[in-house]
Amino acid sequence: MEKIIQLQDIFFSYGDFKAIDGISLDIGAGVYGLLGPNGAGKTTLLKVVLGFLTPSSGHGRVLGMGISSSRKAVRRKIGYMPENDCLIPGMDGVTLTAYLGELSGMPRQEAIKRAHEVLYYVGLEEERYRKVDTYSAGMKQRLKLAQALVHDPQLLLLDEPTSGMDPKGRKEMLDLIKDIAGKGSMNVIICSHLLPDIENTCRRVIILDKGRIAASHDIEGVSEDRFNRFNLKLKGETGAFLEKLESLKCEIDVTDRGLYKIKLPAQESSRKLFEIALASKVQIRHFQQSRTTLEDTFVTAIGVNHEH
Amino acid sequence: MSIREKGYHKWDQELKSGGIAWLPMFFNGIKTAFKKKYAKAFFAFTISPFLIFLAGIYISTKPELKMFSEIVRLLKTDARFFAAFFTNGFTYFMLVLLCVFVFAEMISGDLQFNSFPLYFSRPLDRKDYVLGKLSVIMFYMLLFTLVPGILLLLFKFIFTGTFSVEPRVVLGIIVLPILISAFFSSITLMFSSLSANGKYVKIIIFVLFFLSNGISEMLKGIFRNTYFNLFSFPRNLEQMGAYIFNSRPAFSVPGWISLLIIAGLTVLSFLVIFKKIGKSEAQIEIGS
Repeated sequence: MEKIIQLQDIFFSYGDFKAIDGISLDIGAGVYGLLGPNGAGKTTLLKVVLGFLTPSSGHGRVLGMGISSSRKAVRRKIGYMPENDCLIPGMDGVTLTAYLGELSGMPRQEAIKRAHEVLYYVGLEEERYRKVDTYSAGMKQRLKLAQALVHDPQLLLLDEPTSGMDPKGRKEMLDLIKDIAGKGSMNVIICSHLLPDIENTCRRVIILDKGRIAASHDIEGVSEDRFNRFNLKLKGETGAFLEKLESLKCEIDVTDRGLYKIKLPAQESSRKLFEIALASKVQIRHFQQSRTTLEDTFVTAIGVNHEH
Repeated sequence: MSIREKGYHKWDQELKSGGIAWLPMFFNGIKTAFKKKYAKAFFAFTISPFLIFLAGIYISTKPELKMFSEIVRLLKTDARFFAAFFTNGFTYFMLVLLCVFVFAEMISGDLQFNSFPLYFSRPLDRKDYVLGKLSVIMFYMLLFTLVPGILLLLFKFIFTGTFSVEPRVVLGIIVLPILISAFFSSITLMFSSLSANGKYVKIIIFVLFFLSNGISEMLKGIFRNTYFNLFSFPRNLEQMGAYIFNSRPAFSVPGWISLLIIAGLTVLSFLVIFKKIGKSEAQIEIGS
């Protein structure tokens, strides 16, 4: 598999705070999600990849180039959509996008032509001659995507791409990302704390927590997993029932409201739950196949007590 | 069918990898500065000393206009004439106004609108960014100092019909405007990098450039010491001009001291700019 990003033992601290604590990872072609609670190190990791921040130790390569030794060459091939509002005052949408295209190395005329195209693509065709200072939050998000796309980068880094957007705008933004990624010519890394964004767009997810990789999963794998999870409400003496489930290596969680969340091993079917309940003289009063999503994987990876 | 309906459209050409990375900043900055409110009026006023000095050259070459000879006594030597042209009070005043009203927000605007991630995600580093901003101010400063200086020399040749001029004067016509422009540009960029609030930057630049002269005059009045002229920016520029052109000094202190002060302040300003931009970058990273 082609390696887009290779990081080895990357450490980075803001003073005493370890933002990245020994991350090693290989990211291949396609769409990857970086997921994690606030302060997990997602944005810092993106900035290390971009060469904004120099790791205190470790080394990495992006598109075959060293992140510290070839910063300018790396940035030429990367499109970056920052999380925070950022713009260059006094410019209209076309001028700003073309200007940033030129700074990436595009010839002036091409940059202007391409700026019109990408602004049209992201849905800012009507507002492209408006001063960017007057754009709404959603428009600024689209503009940030347009400036990241203008030079047709090989790798697109999107930091919280749907931040501050209304539901319609959010859906459109995710559709755009899916469309860009769907062409197969651009690799995309989406950094978000919104699980549905990652679930809807990414092929694989890397979960970060406290500056470390907590888990890494194929999104499809996570989705398949859900078919073996069940939520049950029981009546009767549950001790024997639970013991038998544990002997089968089932994962069991009990909520405050007495809901049993059970994950069966892959080889077992739901019928087994009824057989054990019958044998243990327990009534199953509620049975529901769990609507497990990426959230369960996320919570498992970072720990249930983690604030996020 | 729109691009959007068609889906994402690739750009199948090659990006330039060599060349001057900050050149688009230079061209864009020139256009932006020209479009600023009142910029054209300031530019017109700034060029006016050139027209006056041009008239002076013309008058001095016409014997029939002897009645104006007292007015153009400066033209007795080329050195005094050009030193006076580059360091006269009106040009200084207009250059300060340009710094305040046209260039003061060059970096502070980027700080205010958080533009750094947009710039630095491109193949630009801190040096390119500063050079891009500096080149814009330098362009306009040289346009109002070096270019008219060279034009005045050419007109002098035309009006007098001779090409006789001291090599030191030619050197001065090139070196002095570059030093003056670098000084104004670096000081302006330094203050612009200190705050995201453009208004504060404007006030600081304005006060500093004019207050220096006031403080100098006050200290000179109290202590009766000519060395206090060194506290004044315009007096230092005047003295530096006299030193470079080897003409009569503006005050009785060695001219190289003023040259060192101006050069030192320029270098110091650049050091502050680089430090400030590095710091601002780091703050943005932490904040986001």
